[in-house]
Amino acid sequence: MSQAAREQELDQPVSLAALFVAFLKVSLYGIGGGGGLVWAGRIAVDQRRWITDQEFADIVSLCQFMPGPNIVGIAVCIGAKARGAVGTIAAISGFLVIPWGIGLALGLLYLKYAHLTVMRNILGGIAAAAAGLLIATGIRLLMPHRRRPAAMLFAGLAFALMVFSKLPLLVILFSLVPLGIAVAGIEAARAR
Amino acid sequence: MNSPSIALTAHLALLSSISFGGFPTVLPDVRNFVVTTHRWMTDQEFADFFAIAQSIPGPNMILMMSFIGWKVWGFPGAVASAFATFGPPCAIYFAAYRLWDRFRNAPWQRIVRLGLVPVTMGLVVASGTVMARAADTGWRAAAVSIAAAVILLGTRLSPLWLLVAGGGLGGLGLLR
Repeated sequence: MSQAAREQELDQPVSLAALFVAFLKVSLYGIGGGGGLVWAGRIAVDQRRWITDQEFADIVSLCQFMPGPNIVGIAVCIGAKARGAVGTIAAISGFLVIPWGIGLALGLLYLKYAHLTVMRNILGGIAAAAAGLLIATGIRLLMPHRRRPAAMLFAGLAFALMVFSKLPLLVILFSLVPLGIAVAGIEAARAR
Repeated sequence: MNSPSIALTAHLALLSSISFGGFPTVLPDVRNFVVTTHRWMTDQEFADFFAIAQSIPGPNMILMMSFIGWKVWGFPGAVASAFATFGPPCAIYFAAYRLWDRFRNAPWQRIVRLGLVPVTMGLVVASGTVMARAADTGWRAAAVSIAAAVILLGTRLSPLWLLVAGGGLGGLGLLR
């Protein structure tokens, strides 16, 4: 798709109902934690084209730095991008109201049957697939940076520190990100 | 509102405002508050709430806090805990995004992006890996995770089918 056509498509006004439904889906499909990220990208970038891959990566990164459930932050930002404050309210309502009601009812029921083996097995299989989807989403959003060795180095460091060290996430973020930005600043200065 | 529910709601609102890196980072503090300090529930109940919240679709940390609120003060407690968990962060996210959007295309923003995005995407891949290990019941489950990642990257198949396939294989007992 040409740049102009893409921009025009991105400029179409987004209906509040569409935002509500999109984040209702993100919420209900995002089983097992972290999966919401996969679905938010799939729906808002690939299907609806409300935002570009780059804007999505920006939003995800921004939300890493904020307190609270990151996926709620993604709903807030995409809603704000599409329709401002009312868009945020539509996205958040879609994400929370119905799934919360279903989840609360299911959970109170499920507390009685949590010990059943077959339930545990099904949930284990879903969790394994969901983990793979999360990995693929991270790799896809890294792809635009693959030609920059510094970017690959920082992605690799972040991955390794998170998986193999016992350091808290905040320590990793606040040590790697300023370094990464400094290196990007030097690259930009050299390119000039 | 009775006084335990006010104390719980206020504490959750405070924690959600400082839960950098996602709500799971403040879970140990929640446990101290509701189990050790106030004895509103046992450790076993707290662990059950966690397991259930993780395994049903929807906003799982908000649901987990709602179960705790329910335990303390029934349905109104569940609603109050949910608002305390997502309300303050929503306001912060909205303000931060407005600020970021205002400086769209500024030269410094491009540099911040080039430095920031690779780190956070490395962390996303890492959290998928950590979850795969947590879910792991051996090489079969690992194979399901890898297959799901490769299929999502290489095809246009909906991720929903991959989750259904994973649940089906698990339910048949093939991942044990």
